[in-house]
Amino acid sequence: MSSLFSWLTKAQALLSPSITPCLTCGKRNPGSSPLPGVCRICVEAIPWISSPRCLKCGRHVGCPDCTRSSEPSPIICNRSAVAYTSVMREWLGQYKYRGNERYGLLLGLMLDRAYIALKEEKRSALLSQKTLIIHSSWSADLLVPVPVSDSRLRERGFNQAERLADVLSKRRKIPQLPLLIRTHHTGKQSFKSRAERIADMKHAFAENPAVTAQFADWMKRKVPLNRPVRIIIVDDIYTTGSTIRACADIVQQMGSDYGYRVEVYSLTWARS
Amino acid sequence: MRTAVYVLECRGIWRVWISLDLTVDRWWWSGAGLESQGRGLVTVDKLVLISPALPLGWAVKLRDHFKQRDGMRNWGTKEWGQYVSSVLEPELKEEREAGGIGEKEWFSDGGSLWRLPEQSGGFIEQSRKNNDCRGNDLDYALLESEVEQFVHAVAGRSLLQPEIEALLAEGLPELMGRWRQAAQLAHLQGRLELTAAVGCDAPAAHGARARQLPAGAGTLARAAARLPHVWWRGAVARRAVSRCLRCGSAPTGRTACAACGLMGCAYCEACLALGRSRACALLLRSAALPAVRCTAALDPTAAAGRWGLSPAQAGAAGAALGFLAERRECSAKKCPERFLLWAVTGAGKTEMIFPLLEAVLAAGGRALVATPRRDVVLELAPRLAKAFPAEILAVLYGGSAERWVSGRLTLATTHQLLRFHRGFDLVIIDELDAFPYHNDPLLAYAAEQACKVDGSFIYLSATPPQEMQRLVRSGRLPHARVPVRFHGHPLPVPQHLTMTSVQTCLKRGNLPRSLIHTLRKSLERVAQIFCFVSRIAHIEGLLVLLRRSFPGVVIEGTSSKDPFRAEKVTAFRNRAISLLVTTTILERGVTVPRSDVFILDADSDLFDEASLVQMAGRAGRSKDDPGGHVVFASPQWTRSQRGAISQIRTMNMIARRKGYISKETPR
Repeated sequence: MSSLFSWLTKAQALLSPSITPCLTCGKRNPGSSPLPGVCRICVEAIPWISSPRCLKCGRHVGCPDCTRSSEPSPIICNRSAVAYTSVMREWLGQYKYRGNERYGLLLGLMLDRAYIALKEEKRSALLSQKTLIIHSSWSADLLVPVPVSDSRLRERGFNQAERLADVLSKRRKIPQLPLLIRTHHTGKQSFKSRAERIADMKHAFAENPAVTAQFADWMKRKVPLNRPVRIIIVDDIYTTGSTIRACADIVQQMGSDYGYRVEVYSLTWARS
Repeated sequence: MRTAVYVLECRGIWRVWISLDLTVDRWWWSGAGLESQGRGLVTVDKLVLISPALPLGWAVKLRDHFKQRDGMRNWGTKEWGQYVSSVLEPELKEEREAGGIGEKEWFSDGGSLWRLPEQSGGFIEQSRKNNDCRGNDLDYALLESEVEQFVHAVAGRSLLQPEIEALLAEGLPELMGRWRQAAQLAHLQGRLELTAAVGCDAPAAHGARARQLPAGAGTLARAAARLPHVWWRGAVARRAVSRCLRCGSAPTGRTACAACGLMGCAYCEACLALGRSRACALLLRSAALPAVRCTAALDPTAAAGRWGLSPAQAGAAGAALGFLAERRECSAKKCPERFLLWAVTGAGKTEMIFPLLEAVLAAGGRALVATPRRDVVLELAPRLAKAFPAEILAVLYGGSAERWVSGRLTLATTHQLLRFHRGFDLVIIDELDAFPYHNDPLLAYAAEQACKVDGSFIYLSATPPQEMQRLVRSGRLPHARVPVRFHGHPLPVPQHLTMTSVQTCLKRGNLPRSLIHTLRKSLERVAQIFCFVSRIAHIEGLLVLLRRSFPGVVIEGTSSKDPFRAEKVTAFRNRAISLLVTTTILERGVTVPRSDVFILDADSDLFDEASLVQMAGRAGRSKDDPGGHVVFASPQWTRSQRGAISQIRTMNMIARRKGYISKETPR
């Protein structure tokens, strides 16, 4: 009798519709969700940055760093998909440190949303300038992921920035080139103060000699002549911006070496 | 990671070796330092380097699926290349399909991925030359002493590379830079097993596993575990079933990997929380040692006297001791023997395990106590430390500071068992039916891996799973019952109270008179009340109704979602709260001296028989108030409720028959 009962329950479980558990909360919540693998309830709780308070660094709260600094920034602006709350920290941790690569597509699609917002913002800015009609659509020309050091890459097995850029690149048909390499291992950023990070970053990156030829070739064939080249640096998180600025300096330098005007933007998944 | 792979002929037998550092292998096989154990005995006739850097998963497959063929001695580069391609054919095909670089690019890429060195024998001759005066950059005398330390530090463990590094950083920092050499030498000495964390199991081990899975894993899980075995025969020629060797799950993730360079490197998603196990990740396991035998000389009565056990406890502990001392005739079965200690709630299980642990430790063995729940580990730790003051006790749980402490006595949550391999002579699993151990094949696999093949398993439970109860009934599982609580009073038998469902009460906005009346009686006898409900969502509404009915009584509610749960439980223990509305999260572990138990909606699907018995077991635990009241309140009378009551009655009956009931509780 009891075994019959248990078989009935199992048979019923087989026949009932299966809802895959949510990637982030593990619950089987019904209902369709706009992001793959995540339930509706978790998606609703995502702290999107839909209108940044600081137009320079894309921060959702007032930003003393950008107002304080007087030196010119190598980037036009940064935009981030979400505010780095504890829940988002957990998501990124699951991806980066635990190695749950199912998060890759999810975070990539979230970044894509930030890209679309940036695109929209730039398009309306162009419209308000009332320039030529052909300028009324804005899109980036190249994506450059922030590199990780070789030892970190071997340990982790992947570069999260590159994977994020991959998703964006495929969806929006923007080419991606690993223009940069990390010259020395800076250790985990999360254990450092702001000043330490900035000092550390100064010489952490360099031009990637392996893609120089490819880059030159791309410049020759693809660069639009009537406006500056738009390059987006992609990373998982923007904290002080020192990483992004260090990368942007090199990208600017590379552009001017070839005699092109380059506009560098940055797109990160989270803004702390 | 990538490792070097070579084949070696030794007295006509060919074997494939993987190497973390070829200089160690060169030195070892060149026969330098003949005085060391075993090494000088082999003469190496031929050695062929297959690849200096092959993805570890592939290297391990080459090693584990190696079949000697005629004429290997005369093979040249081409033949070896063909052989390797044929063994790795499915992997190469998969890699091509995944969009990875093709075979040609792969192998020309590294210069000579499996091209032989210029002269086939060159490798070893060159090293002979180098080693004539031990003119290598490694100090091998030092290395050998380091190997001793290393092998000792990882004894009985199963570790991934980051875990090895963490362990060394804490225990042997001087070895940090050279652990690969030490591990390689230990591997050559046969004291360490190097393998890929995700890979194919040898077919023999596979069958054993399906048999061995504890009954607790449930029918479905066991069926699932048996499934690959059935497939095995058909699939063996085509493709072996791969699994995570650490947790036993099938790897479900597959991504490009920078560490080995493959486009499709499989990884296990089931045990991610303990560090990622993947096809190219090194899994280092210490070679299994035989288990110790406990001597039967230990006198059960003396042990009972020393630990202050009641007659019922002493009887069961004695039976378990006898089980440990038994000579195992069937050790050829290659799986640990199992024993069930079926002790009612409040029987004093912890005291009973002390003599068992003592017996194993006295015989020079290593013992492990595992429990699914962290709070139980934290509660048990000081008691074990007090009982065995001379032993180093390693207390392991997620986030514990003693992760790499190596003691002969280990107390751990079941998840931590993934880090052990054939390390313990005795494994005691407490509350094996509790969440999350219940029905989790991963934890069952981990527990089995942690025990030596000829070691012993003891399960402790008040409510063993159906499967295990069946084995007990049919006499296929040795066991001992403790049918009575330590204070010698019978278990309170639950009373049934017919009432409307909580949902209806909340809708109507009042509670049935009968329930209020019974609750009032309990409050009048100054008992503290556990009020169990089936759904978290009901707690708030019920609190409002109860507070209205009993003004002046401190009534609180808590659940797994409550951030103040710990505080409220403490307050309840300290009698600051009189009535606590809660869910099954408090069905175990919390003991208050004078308590009554009310289970509302006892007919809910969420309360199975085991859980009803556990909740009922919260009442009458103290010897000052052994006759607490238990009420099953529900509109319907269900099988689970009937089963729970009959289980309790059976235990009481056995206890009476054996004369364990010292006092009948006045009703």
